[in-house]
Amino acid sequence: MKKYIKHLFLSTIILASLSSCEVEEFSDLNNAEVDAFEGNLTRGDLQDLVGGVFYSSRVAMGTYLDDCGVIGRDYWRFSGSDPRFTNDLLGGGNSVLDNNTFYITNPWAGRYRTVKNANLILGFLDSQDLSAQFTTAEINGTKGLLKTFVAYELLLNLNLTDEEGIRVDVSDASNLGEFVSKAAALTAIQTLLSEGATDLANGGASDFPFSLIPSGFNDFNTPATFLLANKAIAARVAMYRNDPTAVLSLLGESFMSLDGADLNKGIYYNFSESGTDIVNPLFISLDGTSASQARVVHPQFLLDAEANDNRVASKTASFGADITLDDLTGDTVLNLYQSNSDAIPIIRNEELILLYAEANITVNPAEAVTALNTIRTSAGLSAYTGAMDPDSLVAEMLNQRRYSLFGEGHRWIDVRRYGLLNTLPIDRTDADGNPDDVWANFPIPLTENQ
Amino acid sequence: MKQKNFKNRMILFITLILPCVLFAQSTITGTVNDKLGDSVPFVNVIEKGTTNGTTTDMEGNFSLSVDNLPVVVVISSIGYNTVEITYSSVSPQSILLSESAEALEEVVVTGLASSIKRTNSANAVASLSAAEIVGTTPPATLDGALYGKFAGAIVNSNSGAPGGGLSVKLRGATSLQGNIQPLYIIDGVYVDNSSISAGLNAVSGAANGGSASSQDNPTNRIADINPEDIANIEILKGASAAAIYGSRAAAGVIIITTKRGKSGETKFKFSQSTGWNEAINLLGTRDYTEARVLESFGADAAAAFVAGQANGTLVDYEDEIFGEKGIISNTNFSMSGGDEKTRFFAGVTHNNESGIVLNTGYEKTSLRLNLDHKAKDWLKFSLSSNYINSSSDRGFFNNDNTGTTIGVALTATRPWDNLLPVDGIYPDHPNNSSNPLQTRDLVRNNEKVNRLIMGGSMNLDIYKNDNSDLELILRGGLDTYGQQSRAFFPKALQFQTPVNGGLNGVSVQGDTQTKNYNLSAFLVHKYRTDSDITLRSQLGITNEFFDTNSALINSSGLVASESNVDQAANTGVNQTRLKQEDSGFFVQEEVNFQDKLIATVGVRGDKSSNNGDANKLNYYPKASLAVNLNEFGFWNEDSKWNQFKLRAAYGEAGNFPPNAALFTSYNSFSTEGVLGISLTGVRGDANLKSERQKELEFGVDVAFFDNMLDFSGTYYIKTVDDLILNSALPPSSGFTSEFVNAGELQNKGIELALNATPISNDNFQWDLGVNWFKNTSEITRLDVEPFNVGGFGATLGTFRIEEGSSATQIVGIGPNPGVNGFELHGDSEPDFQMGLNNNFKYKNIDLSVLWQWKKGGDNVNLTALLTDLNGTSHDYDTIDLDPEGQLGNGPYRVSQLGVSADAFVEDASYLRMRELGIYYNITSEMLGGLLGGGIDNIKLGFSGSNLINIFDYNSYDPEVSNFGGGTIFTGVEVTPFPSSKRYLFHVAVNF
Repeated sequence: MKKYIKHLFLSTIILASLSSCEVEEFSDLNNAEVDAFEGNLTRGDLQDLVGGVFYSSRVAMGTYLDDCGVIGRDYWRFSGSDPRFTNDLLGGGNSVLDNNTFYITNPWAGRYRTVKNANLILGFLDSQDLSAQFTTAEINGTKGLLKTFVAYELLLNLNLTDEEGIRVDVSDASNLGEFVSKAAALTAIQTLLSEGATDLANGGASDFPFSLIPSGFNDFNTPATFLLANKAIAARVAMYRNDPTAVLSLLGESFMSLDGADLNKGIYYNFSESGTDIVNPLFISLDGTSASQARVVHPQFLLDAEANDNRVASKTASFGADITLDDLTGDTVLNLYQSNSDAIPIIRNEELILLYAEANITVNPAEAVTALNTIRTSAGLSAYTGAMDPDSLVAEMLNQRRYSLFGEGHRWIDVRRYGLLNTLPIDRTDADGNPDDVWANFPIPLTENQ
Repeated sequence: MKQKNFKNRMILFITLILPCVLFAQSTITGTVNDKLGDSVPFVNVIEKGTTNGTTTDMEGNFSLSVDNLPVVVVISSIGYNTVEITYSSVSPQSILLSESAEALEEVVVTGLASSIKRTNSANAVASLSAAEIVGTTPPATLDGALYGKFAGAIVNSNSGAPGGGLSVKLRGATSLQGNIQPLYIIDGVYVDNSSISAGLNAVSGAANGGSASSQDNPTNRIADINPEDIANIEILKGASAAAIYGSRAAAGVIIITTKRGKSGETKFKFSQSTGWNEAINLLGTRDYTEARVLESFGADAAAAFVAGQANGTLVDYEDEIFGEKGIISNTNFSMSGGDEKTRFFAGVTHNNESGIVLNTGYEKTSLRLNLDHKAKDWLKFSLSSNYINSSSDRGFFNNDNTGTTIGVALTATRPWDNLLPVDGIYPDHPNNSSNPLQTRDLVRNNEKVNRLIMGGSMNLDIYKNDNSDLELILRGGLDTYGQQSRAFFPKALQFQTPVNGGLNGVSVQGDTQTKNYNLSAFLVHKYRTDSDITLRSQLGITNEFFDTNSALINSSGLVASESNVDQAANTGVNQTRLKQEDSGFFVQEEVNFQDKLIATVGVRGDKSSNNGDANKLNYYPKASLAVNLNEFGFWNEDSKWNQFKLRAAYGEAGNFPPNAALFTSYNSFSTEGVLGISLTGVRGDANLKSERQKELEFGVDVAFFDNMLDFSGTYYIKTVDDLILNSALPPSSGFTSEFVNAGELQNKGIELALNATPISNDNFQWDLGVNWFKNTSEITRLDVEPFNVGGFGATLGTFRIEEGSSATQIVGIGPNPGVNGFELHGDSEPDFQMGLNNNFKYKNIDLSVLWQWKKGGDNVNLTALLTDLNGTSHDYDTIDLDPEGQLGNGPYRVSQLGVSADAFVEDASYLRMRELGIYYNITSEMLGGLLGGGIDNIKLGFSGSNLINIFDYNSYDPEVSNFGGGTIFTGVEVTPFPSSKRYLFHVAVNF
């Protein structure tokens, strides 16, 4: 029995020593947690957080631009591995835009992700006493930049869903604001831009409290200069709201230069081939183009172009042979970008001059023509000789926008603004006699539960 | 029954001799040994027809007082054949027990440290012997051995690439977002079965457009385990049997026991299998004519086609790529032996097989050493150790968004395209962004694994007497491996050259270090009353640690043909760490009332760092009852009934939230070199609970005709509560999803198994096994909005989680949508599955055939659509889909895009001859004096797997999964690696 007791004693010790283990709790071993910034935001943290806004503002922008470019019949997107570009987006046969497919869900989520990234930073800035880390001006400048981003991201989503509206109040993820109408959304975006402008104006003469800013913002990397970009975006929004007076006044405070010397001045999305970055999503080299991977310029774009318009030559390239997919055939491809790291414009001077022309059609037609001629001249065309009535000028203005802003996501929105969607070319009719469709807007994504 | 028969005779006998021996109280003694001369302790010694009995001590000795002589005692012990010994006098007898032939099948697991006779088990626990695992044909990987052999498991191969990639799902849908693969335990060691992606997404962009889950199709690591080493596999299919494994057991537990040595003469075994594999079903090219080519591809193509036809230069590129015969060679050598105190089993296996695509293949070397040592009568140690080195080349397949994988490239390839290399220079594909021959020849996608699995245990008898004993068992296990993945896309590739928009070469290197270990201690107390009631109590504690650190280095812009990632223009690094610590205890009480009623109750308590509250104990109870009606004496001794058992079991088990589910986090990125952190898109919840599975199973087991025919039927209801859902959040929240406990899922199923030996005589034996099972699942509660999951959107067919519907329903757009806006197009759940196993033995010839039939179950087949869009489908011009009989199948499917997903959802039924083996045994008598009679036997044979495949599915194989095995949403097909059949010739020598 003594032996047993010894064994029993031994085993009890072993059991007891094992059972006393407490289980260790681990935090997220792979990623920074949101909670980590809620109590103690440092300058280094702010740099990283704002860097995230720059990053996510580009996520799925390729899809956004393809959405606008394909429905606006700037070009067709051929993809051997995804038939929906040539089917759903063009309304081939009976197909309709699905509310749970990448062409709407990805850009929509990407934009709201950026809004959330920015809103979280705004929350961190508001909820803690940061006087030891940042000056008031630095905080104001940062807020102004973030609000401008939020407003712009909301605008892009509204561009997709248009009359279906968007959510504007999304700061509380558990308690989202209702969808608001297009008009209300535009008003809210305008208000947010103007709040941002005020913040930027209070941002002092110094730099942002984060020094690393992508080169696409090179001329706009201080609160004072970023304000010029804010005003430019606000001018676009004002034009969408049909408020020419506001457009002209905002353009006056923006970086617009009417002489046409630097049409490309503006803010840009940057890309690179780094493993953590995104490559330019619109770049397909000529040699890499095939029926399974191409952006084929819509033949009507080439047919409608005035002779010698140098924009056609610079923005497109002949493939040298027909490329066919899904009953669509073209021989010219998009040639806006020359490498994976080329920047894509957010807003640039050429658009501002065109906005200036557009706003002046009703306010000062002669000034409108002057501005349009600036664009025509730079495109190698002679001065405008057409009629001066508003309809003719609108047609000319839309035409210049079509060629100047080709592939930059404007055409579809422009013709929609003027009720001219029915003028876009229809390419195909299926065996049952169903023609392609020109969609007015995307459905609200399924998961918004509307 | 037999006892009664004997009892009658005994009564007669006793009556006759009664006068002589009346009141002659005597004590009989004896020693029980096995065939190897080892003493056998704890053997039951019972005076026949009475309850008077004892057990042998550690030395195998017993003594028993009997009222009179002569007397018959029944000597029995689990794992041995029962014998009856007549004592006519008190002189000691030496009794020899032979091991029961069915010893392995006879015992099933009931506790972490105990097992029970199968005839007393209350659960339908499936078990497979070594003969069933590798006896007919050696499987390519261990999980491949589970096909069709027992009811309740759906084994699915995700791709045909060499080196595995299988998923095993037990009893239907276990979880929607959590783990669905069973827990593997080998000799007490928790064995990792991860699938670690090689980072191919960097090139394929597969996860960019649609579903974000992995489409790289890596090997699952259970493929490392060598099937030849296995003595026995037991499968606990659901919580009712697996509750003792607590919080990791919801998907079932597969318990593997490896071979161990036997004392005695050292035995050697050498075997060699050589053969090849080839594609099961290639589709062929479209039936091109000049007119068709002209219509689909234009005048230039038509001219090229005509010229190619005239010159005989048209190439069947499918055959060019998938038409190889891959050589297979498996070499196995093992030895076992030992003495009374120490026994060993040692084995080495080398497998080398090439795939049906050039530059794919799998090579594995596995070493095993198992030791058992009996230090004292009351102290035993055992050690299992296994070292594995494997290397697999898996090629570049499956979905992509860049036209670069071999499969996607093939869909765009026409016979007149000139892709063949000239002097090592591959022409660019005229119709696609990659040349599949170039991709095949230049791309490398290799996984290398170095793995060590070790388990040790100690059994210590604390005390022992006639009717009770107490044992302490300590166990420890370690599973550690390093996996290297190397994906190399040289800059010479068509899609890598910068002029084609390429990244100028991509090299992705992954390194994963995994270290898992587990410790446990148990006390087992056995007590038997005089009225033959056995009580067995167990108390144990367990502790498990899991640590995985994975780094993926992704570089592009390579210098020259250098694959070194620091010789690159751009480098990105991705590190993933997983750590988990679990700790728990376990108590169980088993009561066996004279083998008539066997009841078990138990509970496991578990805590885990993976729960929101790490130190809170979660309890998983179990209870079961088996009633052996045949033991009650209802049948007379001539009855054909050998067994009639009713059983019921209930148990609960858990399933952890996915690792990241507890946190709301950022991921880091960059913009032109400016670092930034952006939300991951998943809103975490620190209070998330584990999923809880509650399973109730009922069954009946019957056996007749001396067990020549037995039948087992089981019905189960498996309910998963607190279902963790990656519920879609309105994306305007900035998140796309959050993990919530928000639903309940129920599976109901029937499993039937029949085993029979219709013919058995000296020359000929026929054994037959049939299993049939069916499962239906239903989402019984859903607290979030119904959502689509696991496919490529409603246009192409997607799974949808909806209250009241099957968990695996496939919906999509269509002309007749239901109230949810979608039309129901199918369900990936089969109507039923059936396995039929026949073994014929005629003299020295063995023939085994295993058929498997999967009836119903749908796939989303996008391979056909992708070929249609390129005008290259093999059935492009066949007219049998269009209800109006107008369009060819190709144009018809394309016309359905955006109209209905029905054309892409296909029935994935199949009937296969899974295994065929025919062997000839040359016995030592036949060999005569060859090598001095040292050869025990030689076995020669031929075997094959998947030799006959019957299905109506329009692709290589209905058994496929683009998204791998980690999800119940399998059966989505996008240009996979085609599956293959294997032919093998065998020679095995035992000496």
